Amino acid sequence: MSAKTLTQADLTSLVSDILAADKRVVAPSLVGIGPLEHIEYRPLHKAEDMVLDRGLPKRSIKEMFFPPTEVVFRWKQKKSDVAIDEIPTTFQQTVVIGALPCDAAAPGIVDRVMNWDYRDELWNGRREATTIVAMACDGGDKSCFCTAVGLGPESSKGADLLLTPVKAGYHVDVLTPKGEELVSKYSKRFGEAKSADEAKKYQEAARKKVEGNLSFDAPKMRAWLEGNFENEYWRTIALRCHGCGTCATMCPTCHCFDIVDENEGVLAGERRRNWDTCQTGKFTLHGSGHNPRHDQNARFRQRVTHKFAIYPGKFGEILCTGCGRCQRQCPGGMDLLEILGDIARMAGGAA
Amino acid sequence: MNLYQPFLMRVDEIIDETVDTRTLKLSFQDPKVAEKFEFKAGQFGEYSVFGAGECTFCIASAPTRKGYIECSFKLVGRVTKAMRDLNVGDTMGFRGPYGNSFPLEQMYGKSLVFIAGGIGLAPVRCVIWNALDLRDKFKDVTIIYGARSVGDLVYKRELEEWSKRADVKLWQTVDPGGETKDWKGQIGFVPTIVEKAAPAAKDCYAVICGPPVMIKFTMPVLEKLGFGKDQIYTTLENRMKCGIGKCGRCNCGPVYVCKDGPVFTAREIAALPNDF
Repeated sequence: MSAKTLTQADLTSLVSDILAADKRVVAPSLVGIGPLEHIEYRPLHKAEDMVLDRGLPKRSIKEMFFPPTEVVFRWKQKKSDVAIDEIPTTFQQTVVIGALPCDAAAPGIVDRVMNWDYRDELWNGRREATTIVAMACDGGDKSCFCTAVGLGPESSKGADLLLTPVKAGYHVDVLTPKGEELVSKYSKRFGEAKSADEAKKYQEAARKKVEGNLSFDAPKMRAWLEGNFENEYWRTIALRCHGCGTCATMCPTCHCFDIVDENEGVLAGERRRNWDTCQTGKFTLHGSGHNPRHDQNARFRQRVTHKFAIYPGKFGEILCTGCGRCQRQCPGGMDLLEILGDIARMAGGAA
Repeated sequence: MNLYQPFLMRVDEIIDETVDTRTLKLSFQDPKVAEKFEFKAGQFGEYSVFGAGECTFCIASAPTRKGYIECSFKLVGRVTKAMRDLNVGDTMGFRGPYGNSFPLEQMYGKSLVFIAGGIGLAPVRCVIWNALDLRDKFKDVTIIYGARSVGDLVYKRELEEWSKRADVKLWQTVDPGGETKDWKGQIGFVPTIVEKAAPAAKDCYAVICGPPVMIKFTMPVLEKLGFGKDQIYTTLENRMKCGIGKCGRCNCGPVYVCKDGPVFTAREIAALPNDF
């Protein structure tokens, strides 16, 4: 593991170099105008569009690996016969720059389910084609709780390179072979590392800022969730919840999907997979009319239980990176921090 | 070929089981796939009509009968409507086989009792034929099958065949009021008939499939007859999309029904949260 330095100007040049090599660069950039102006991860047209000092983008980088809608194959019918057109599983080389640690960590967690016995080539193809240059966070806001789920504003999990803002620009930790490849390919942009201490101070200050928001004992939380399916706590939990699924679409780790056919006329069409969420009533509705999760409380319980008990049990990791988007953007005011805090207290694991 | 791309199937035969239930006999269009394809009793697949979408059904035919698969379905929605619109010779999609299976080898040398209600006979039928094709490996075979009315009984020609076999004890029943003048079977709900048939629990496995309410009331009867929780097998029918443990839809507590199921013992079911 080596370290480097990158000035702001060199970072801009680096992005231009990568774009010039016909790769896709995805980075936080401004979208919308006036009061709707905000930051999103977007493919860049030019390096100057990159905005790295405005905090967490509204949506996560999930859609770079798992688009909201994607074609899985196309079909054409001729009389009684159907011909299938396959979809390529190789994708354009992509470098994500400025992914915050909570976003950079997410794809690695979802890898587990996407490769559970059956390997999802559409997901893996994009994963393999993507290099993630993460940027240490300044500690975010009151909705952040990355430290509670074992990550942190300086976490390098899932990142190939980690940039930490310093006076001279960025301190760069080179973390993986993919990261090394990027550094050696564009070596003229990177300088000798000389601000490791300054970077460490920045990271420590950030951790201090976010640490107070929430903390819990994950194994105790899991044990409580596994043993309290029928607990009274769930009975009124989702009175504020609209069941709109904003939390799931914003979530960097939510990965449920639907498979539907979309037709082009009568004799041709495509099968797509679209994002879906356990927060909608039809998610589990049987053809018979029976619905195992018949009210919003049951659906919300599923979301919390899946993230903090079921996924850790099956795949060894919490299905949450503490980005706080579900709380920040919920139109009904559902507060996952408050709920996790409640459960931690009931589980006896609150710190 | 990615995970979500189906095999192309040809509709070889259409059999109407009841007014709203139909069986399609399908064969693989690619002879290489047909040759390689194998499955075990209890596994399921994603059947699709191009332009309408995918639907999850068990493979209703027996794994011992090669070269084709069958699927039985009831008309309830968009895909099943499109499946009813298909003619012999038309093309369908099929992904599978997915999920676990009934542990038939473990049941060798034992007696079997099959209990099914309504279209729940489809997954059970697969095991029944599998067992009957290997008849000398099992002791007594008892089939208890019920439906709401005589018209709702599926696989009528096979019920006829089973009723004539000396090595199969078949109990057919319809709900009170569902009988016709010439009905010769039992009248009463499935749990009552199970109590009447009273299969011996010793060295016996029960395979039960049907509406939740039937299972709910049959379980205590089996327990009274001495069946242990590990002697009873059933299947869960959660809604599914991908069938391969990705899409999250069939998740129920610690299990994904599509990967960890659909076949469970009564003990495994009892340990699950009430989320199915």
